[in-house]
Amino acid sequence: MRTFHADPAIKAQALDRLRRHIAAGSFVYFPAWQDGNANAIGAVVEADDTPLYAETLGYPLALAEMLPMFVNGFLPLAEAARFAEAWLDRTPIGADLTGIVPQLIIELLGAPALTSVTARYPELERLRTDIIALHRQSLRAEAPDRKAWKAVRLSAVAATDRLEGSKVDRHAGQVVESAAWPGTMRTVLRDTLAGLSTFEMHLALAAIGWTEDDESRVFHIRQQAEIDGHLAELHGIERLLAILDADHSALAVQFRRRMNAMEESRQRYRSTGWRVIELMEGTPTAV
Amino acid sequence: MRDATELNFDEIVLRNEKPVLVDFWAPWCAPCKALAPTLDELAQEYAAEMEIVKVDIEANPALAERFEVRGIPLLMVVRHGKEVARTFGTLSRTRLDAFVDEHVSAD
Repeated sequence: MRTFHADPAIKAQALDRLRRHIAAGSFVYFPAWQDGNANAIGAVVEADDTPLYAETLGYPLALAEMLPMFVNGFLPLAEAARFAEAWLDRTPIGADLTGIVPQLIIELLGAPALTSVTARYPELERLRTDIIALHRQSLRAEAPDRKAWKAVRLSAVAATDRLEGSKVDRHAGQVVESAAWPGTMRTVLRDTLAGLSTFEMHLALAAIGWTEDDESRVFHIRQQAEIDGHLAELHGIERLLAILDADHSALAVQFRRRMNAMEESRQRYRSTGWRVIELMEGTPTAV
Repeated sequence: MRDATELNFDEIVLRNEKPVLVDFWAPWCAPCKALAPTLDELAQEYAAEMEIVKVDIEANPALAERFEVRGIPLLMVVRHGKEVARTFGTLSRTRLDAFVDEHVSAD
């Protein structure tokens, strides 16, 4: 399948619809299509229908599936709109994008933070490289058969279950097992990226010493405030931070670092989104 | 994928020759919606071995009661007319595949 079915008019119409929503202030993160508001998918196909978006514009379904998630990684909404517009604007007309999904998965499986963990577990590391090899094989148009994927996938699940390290290490195993599907599958990129982002977030939280007990303490402080009305003149996160600053200063410092770590996990989505655009731009187009 | 109702559940699930993965869901359930693409592809992946059947518990509350569905999404494997396994909540595609492989392939 070729992007925009090699028809410049299809691209122009898609861009026009998106830009009209952005200009009218009806471009939203969620839902896809409701009450005249639309996200990056709904704005173009005027429905909550990702397969229709993929079919209409000629994107692999696994890439179209990712678009709202990439967009949601951008704050504020104007930045999200800028990305959504760049996605369409910089997609070449008449390109075959099917190789991008396996290429991205190979890149995600090579993330240094991930390999620093898998390197400590020979079986998991072997499976990581086996899965990369299968994706490379599909890039050469020699699609591995179903049995090959299944064998490596079930081995990855078993290897993850056998990990004896920390919870973070287990998240690393889940990234590897998520990637053990052909790139033609709708959710393989979504699951692999979500897994990597979660792994990196837990790694960052472990690095700052944030524990489940800390999370639980903050939860109970928030719950108690609801009961006793402490600092009720404030709202949301502002109120929670004020309570922590007033009564739990050490925890307040840690909680701010936790918030930063959580925010950083969005960066993985943003950087991967821009990487997709870069790969799309570099894809040869039909003559 | 077929939809089962209170009227035809026994026919298309319990008397099915193949193992059946029953997906209990509801229109308001966001995790159920997120699971739908995975189930679509799983239905293709396992077309020869099993059938996936969806049950809307809002439209079919008696089925939710009969199978003691306390939360959704709930996936239940039925083989030879009997429930052999169930899993509740969000599950990764790979873990769902492993769950199906364990309970559908074994005879």
